[in-house]
Amino acid sequence: MNVARPGAFLVLVALVAVAPLVVHYPVLLTQALIFGLLAAAFNLLLGELGFLSFGQATFNGLGAYAAGLLLVHVAHVPILVALLVAALCGAGGALVVGALSMQGAGVYAVMLTFAFNELAFYLAFQLRDLTGGDNGLRGVVRPEFIGISLAGENAYYYFVAAVFLVVFYALLRLIDSPFGHVLRAIRENEPRARAIGYDTRRFKVTAFTISGAVSGIAGAAYAMLYGFVPLEVVNFDTSTNIVIMGLLGGTGSPYGAIVGAAIFTLLSDRLSRLWAHWPLLLGILFCTVVLTLRGGVIEIVHRLRPSTPRRKAPLRSG
Amino acid sequence: MTPVGMLRTEKLCKSFGGTVAVDSVDLNVRAASLHAIIGPNGAGKTTLFNLLAGEMRPTSGGVFFEDREITRLDVRERSHLGIGRSFQRTNIFRALSAYENVRVAAQSRTQASFAMWEPATRLRDVAARAQAILDDAGLAALAVRTAGELAGGDQRLLEIAIALATAPKLLLLDEPSQGLSGEDALRLMARIRTLAERYTIVLIEHNMNLVMELSDEITVMNFGSILARGTPAEIRADPQVREAYLGSRG
Repeated sequence: MNVARPGAFLVLVALVAVAPLVVHYPVLLTQALIFGLLAAAFNLLLGELGFLSFGQATFNGLGAYAAGLLLVHVAHVPILVALLVAALCGAGGALVVGALSMQGAGVYAVMLTFAFNELAFYLAFQLRDLTGGDNGLRGVVRPEFIGISLAGENAYYYFVAAVFLVVFYALLRLIDSPFGHVLRAIRENEPRARAIGYDTRRFKVTAFTISGAVSGIAGAAYAMLYGFVPLEVVNFDTSTNIVIMGLLGGTGSPYGAIVGAAIFTLLSDRLSRLWAHWPLLLGILFCTVVLTLRGGVIEIVHRLRPSTPRRKAPLRSG
Repeated sequence: MTPVGMLRTEKLCKSFGGTVAVDSVDLNVRAASLHAIIGPNGAGKTTLFNLLAGEMRPTSGGVFFEDREITRLDVRERSHLGIGRSFQRTNIFRALSAYENVRVAAQSRTQASFAMWEPATRLRDVAARAQAILDDAGLAALAVRTAGELAGGDQRLLEIAIALATAPKLLLLDEPSQGLSGEDALRLMARIRTLAERYTIVLIEHNMNLVMELSDEITVMNFGSILARGTPAEIRADPQVREAYLGSRG
């Protein structure tokens, strides 16, 4: 069993490459990729570790504000530096939130991630001089990449696509790595994982930190997409949307996150043009999927291809 | 002269509120022996076991492993010193394959568990160890099966295989035959007999046939204290034990 097996990943690369030829709306596609990163970061925690984080917007927000402030206040910041700073800020925030939240057991830990999200939101709201409060942080420039202008929306789409694919591939590797295997052991039975000698807390906080880093990168990409950091990047609605995308796609496979993010982004765009009360339709879809396909939309793939190895019961492989 | 044990306790006490569950217990488990702890329900066996495994801290007294004091070490730290344990209620990684249950336990003995890029399948030694342990446990044919879907007897064997994969020097088995009957209980007994040739084992068990047949030494507990200790023959002949425990069976 190997989730990093090239086949599925190459299909994803091809889909990402041709998407702008099918959907002529690069900004929306870029947003789908950004949401894909957020959902993948969420699913790393829920799918692999079995930890429901209700505060993923905290790290998205940290990355967005960190990159935004850097690009507003400092001239000539290379784009990769902006992403790196965002990743580090997302990771740092997640390290603190993760270490403190995981002091709590079960549902309390979940509520703590939510509480920290609220805290982050009010900080962003109150620190107007820094973040612009509810007016948002304006004037975020989009740097070029090794001399290539990313001002065009297609160019920026392909840049974000490259970042997305690199990060997602790294997550696939991580899921298959010895570290990823320990996360699943913790998900299945944390006391037993401790009894066989794993410092489970360290693994959990590390996974949380990685999830924060990925979310931070997504936040930075979002800030540069719109040239502006709205307060929404850190609000609880965003955290909820990340949960919905994760569950919609399914946590049984890392690809589920991508499917969920794509459906969520494209559908909310279409539905919002049709009807003002579109979130209702999305809610109905979400409930239907969760009630009928417990493994999310990606479950359909597994049902159609019963030979597809499920990560839940990894097979022996040489 | 009694040889110094691999695992010892000195005046070990544990009380919960006003109740003394384990009262000044001096235990001495010799290396390469199978040492059973028996006693009626509520005698303090499980509490003692939890104190040995590091699941609980004693109220007073000490626990020593290979002459090192481990009283304050937790389960994880004791695991790394070489104390492996099985659980009374089957405690496995249910949604993972039987193979992965054992493999991830074997992986805990490597420095590679924070490696995030190379696939876990690259850990050839870990894979080989896991496979050998499954073969040895007679579970090779079930390796790819989801652990939670195995039959009860197989799950008990897997439970022990997980502990073995951590390469323990001392194996603590907490009522391994619980819930098993007939064929399964015999299979388990045969398995423990094999393991007893290679490991030092502390066994808590209710199944008297199993205890009398397999033990080198038996410690009988009653009301939190040690009532008697000796070989199976000595225990069987001990009038105090007969009265307190064996006699109660009629």
